[in-house]
Amino acid sequence: MLVTLLLLSLFLMSEATQDSARFGQLYVWLVGFNIAGLVVLVLLIVANLARLVAQLRQQAPGARLSRRLVLLFSLLALGPVSLLYYFSLQFLHRGIDSWFDVRIEQALTDALDLGRGSLDLNMRVVLRWQESMAGTLEEGSIEQAAFTLDELLPGSGASELTLMAQNGRILAASSNDPTALVPSQPNEELLLLARQGRPYVGLDPIRDEGLFVRVLVPLQVAGGTETRLLQGLYPVPSRLSALAGSVEQAFSQYRELAYLRTPLKYSFTLTLSLVLAFTLLAAVWLGFLSARRLTAPVRDLVMGTRAVAAGDYSQRLPQPGNDDIGMLVRSFNEMTRRLALSREAMQRSQQEVEEQKAYLEVVLGNLSTGVLTFDRHLVLITANRAAEQILGVALPVNSGQTLAGLAARHEHLQPLREAWTHHLLQGSGSGWQAEVTLFGARGRQVLICRGSALAATDPEHAGQVVVFDDITALIQAQRDAAWGEVARRLAHEIKNPLTPIQLSAERLRHKCSQSMNPADRALLERHTETIVQQVEMMKGMVNAFSEYARPPRLQREPLALNALLEELLELYRSGEERPVQLSALLDPELPLIDADPGRLRQLLHNLLKNAHEALADTPDPQIAVSTRRLHEDGRSCVELEVRDNGPGLPSELRDRLFEPYITTKPKGTGLGLAIVKKIVEEHGGMIAINDVPAGGFAVAVRLPVTPPESGSGDPAVAERTPTARPPHS
Amino acid sequence: MLAWCLGWLLGGLLLPLAVAADPPRFRVVEAATRLVDEVYRLDARLDLEFSAEVFEALDNGVPLTIELQIEVFEPSDWLWDSSVAELSQRYVLEYRALSGQYLVTNVNTDERSSYAGRHAALVAIGRLQGFPMLDHRLLGVGKRYGARIRARLDIEALPLPLRPVAYLSEAWDLASDWHTWLLVP
Repeated sequence: MLVTLLLLSLFLMSEATQDSARFGQLYVWLVGFNIAGLVVLVLLIVANLARLVAQLRQQAPGARLSRRLVLLFSLLALGPVSLLYYFSLQFLHRGIDSWFDVRIEQALTDALDLGRGSLDLNMRVVLRWQESMAGTLEEGSIEQAAFTLDELLPGSGASELTLMAQNGRILAASSNDPTALVPSQPNEELLLLARQGRPYVGLDPIRDEGLFVRVLVPLQVAGGTETRLLQGLYPVPSRLSALAGSVEQAFSQYRELAYLRTPLKYSFTLTLSLVLAFTLLAAVWLGFLSARRLTAPVRDLVMGTRAVAAGDYSQRLPQPGNDDIGMLVRSFNEMTRRLALSREAMQRSQQEVEEQKAYLEVVLGNLSTGVLTFDRHLVLITANRAAEQILGVALPVNSGQTLAGLAARHEHLQPLREAWTHHLLQGSGSGWQAEVTLFGARGRQVLICRGSALAATDPEHAGQVVVFDDITALIQAQRDAAWGEVARRLAHEIKNPLTPIQLSAERLRHKCSQSMNPADRALLERHTETIVQQVEMMKGMVNAFSEYARPPRLQREPLALNALLEELLELYRSGEERPVQLSALLDPELPLIDADPGRLRQLLHNLLKNAHEALADTPDPQIAVSTRRLHEDGRSCVELEVRDNGPGLPSELRDRLFEPYITTKPKGTGLGLAIVKKIVEEHGGMIAINDVPAGGFAVAVRLPVTPPESGSGDPAVAERTPTARPPHS
Repeated sequence: MLAWCLGWLLGGLLLPLAVAADPPRFRVVEAATRLVDEVYRLDARLDLEFSAEVFEALDNGVPLTIELQIEVFEPSDWLWDSSVAELSQRYVLEYRALSGQYLVTNVNTDERSSYAGRHAALVAIGRLQGFPMLDHRLLGVGKRYGARIRARLDIEALPLPLRPVAYLSEAWDLASDWHTWLLVP
């Protein structure tokens, strides 16, 4: 807008310079407007320049390109425009100078002198003629003078003769023009000149009548006491007047033009300078505008790229046009659009994965089966809640914890490590299965474990999944059911016939003993006695077995094991037939255990009885009973050991010693240790045979400690297992 | 007036160097009004003096326009005076090379008079005798009025190439101060 206005103003100014009639009145306004506009342009450029400098210092995108464009525009404009300016000025000055020629000026001066000489001659003639006329008016009155003027006028060649007083007052007049009421009066200067006695003759243009020769001659009247003035107006011949006027006009115009030569050059130079300044400033301004238009999309692109780098794909740049940059911007917008679509798809996919993962976690979390996954380096990857509940430890996933590390931290998991490591390292794809028995704070646990390789395309991400179940209760139930069936069959198949056998044997002895001789009677009684004793023994055995197979109905209560043990030991000491040295090493800090007192009494009785029976042929029989508290993985249990110095145990029976009817004693029922093992398992404990290097036999029983009201053990596990695991019963 | 101000603006822009102001070459010597037949008639005498540059231009055939500005106003103690009448008497002074005389043309009346010397022409221009200024009946009764007069060289009437120089040159700055007097009935 400003540039257009300035351009228009410069055009008008140029027109005004060339034709003052049209825009001459606006010339100064145009000059002022142009200068003001240029000042505004300069201010705009300075403001843009300051902004560009600031952008360059900030290393803003596009700033260097802007600087280059502005410099380019400025230099491109400066060179040609300066050349054009210089040569235009030269041409202009020379052109103006060429208007003036010495010969023309001389000719005009000569023409003017010629005209002036011609008129001067005429004027001198007229002056002499009027001086002679003035002599005729020196005598006589004013009234006579009027008549004299009328007489003189026709022959004088004047158009008007006027007789005036010194002060210019008209005394008499005569004129060729009857309509002229008032004669033409001389001005004060002429009157003053005439009053001084000096005649005047000169050319005087009179309005609407052309050029006249005005002659003013003083004359003395009344004997020289009064001065009067005679004025005559003599028309210059029209032809001479026209020629003289033409010459005078040409001369005046030439003189004026010559005088205005320098101001004219100045005026043209001013106009050209304004055009030059406007061109240069407009070029710089256009440079800024072009740079802005060019760098705006570049700046947008940079900002957009930064936004994309920051993850904002919603950037849509304004379309600058259909040029190359416009194509680049379109490509950028298409790229961001596709990136946004890709990210949306990725987010959807990730969300689906998250949902799937959450679903799996829920499923795994609600499984009663423990699930663990390991990578190829046996690092624990995932573990579900059931796994932590079964194993009784917190399983830190994704913390680089290995199976060996877990076993090192939790001693009771060592069997797991021993059983699993081989399979996990082997990486069998077809799967594997193992049964592992653990003994932790919650007692003995039998785990059935199954493993399988995880499908992975990358060997680096290969691993194994292990699922395991605590089948302790299941095994116990199976055993209970099996032995219950055995007991039922014994009751039906064995125990029931025993009474008729015993009664029959007693009846046979009673009936036959009276009729027999003493020798036969003794034989009969000995055999029937044997039958009765064996039947009784079988009854006892069946009863004992029934007792073993009896479903447990534990009456648990907090129990002090040491007290119960001392009570029993006292009974044994007092009722001993053979001198057996009973020693007790009891831990005074032994905690309470949660146990059925009756069943535990039976357990202790069986262990002591078993030791007694084993020491039947030992020369220095000794039984050592000890209790102690064990801490494993922050959990406590109570260990009871009954050790004797008997003959010990054959190695082939070691693994089957706790099964029914497995005994090394000739009179043993084979149920003593089986019942002990059953009671231990009912209480969630564990039983083991310890080696005695000096000979003998040692049975160790571990029973879990009664948990306090506030709970014990691993707080992490307690937190994750709000419902306590039911005791194995 | 506006062009005059603009001239000053241009002068300020192009000639930042301050030039010491000469005493004004145009001066109102005296001015007075008299009421004759219900018409205020003005008698004034102005001293008009040209600089050498202006005389040079005149002798080179450049016609000069001198304007006598006359205003009748109602003075105000607060804001600007309110103008009652504004008169302008313009004279064109030019040199006639053929006769060697200076021709004064009253633009308002188209009256012409020739003078052998430029001083006489300027004296004639600067003398107003019984100039009919204002009808007495146009003025309000009981109000106080003032009149003022000044003379100036009209630069806008100069040939166009000369105007920028005239605006920027002190020699062409020909204007008298306002001469003010009370209008006495």
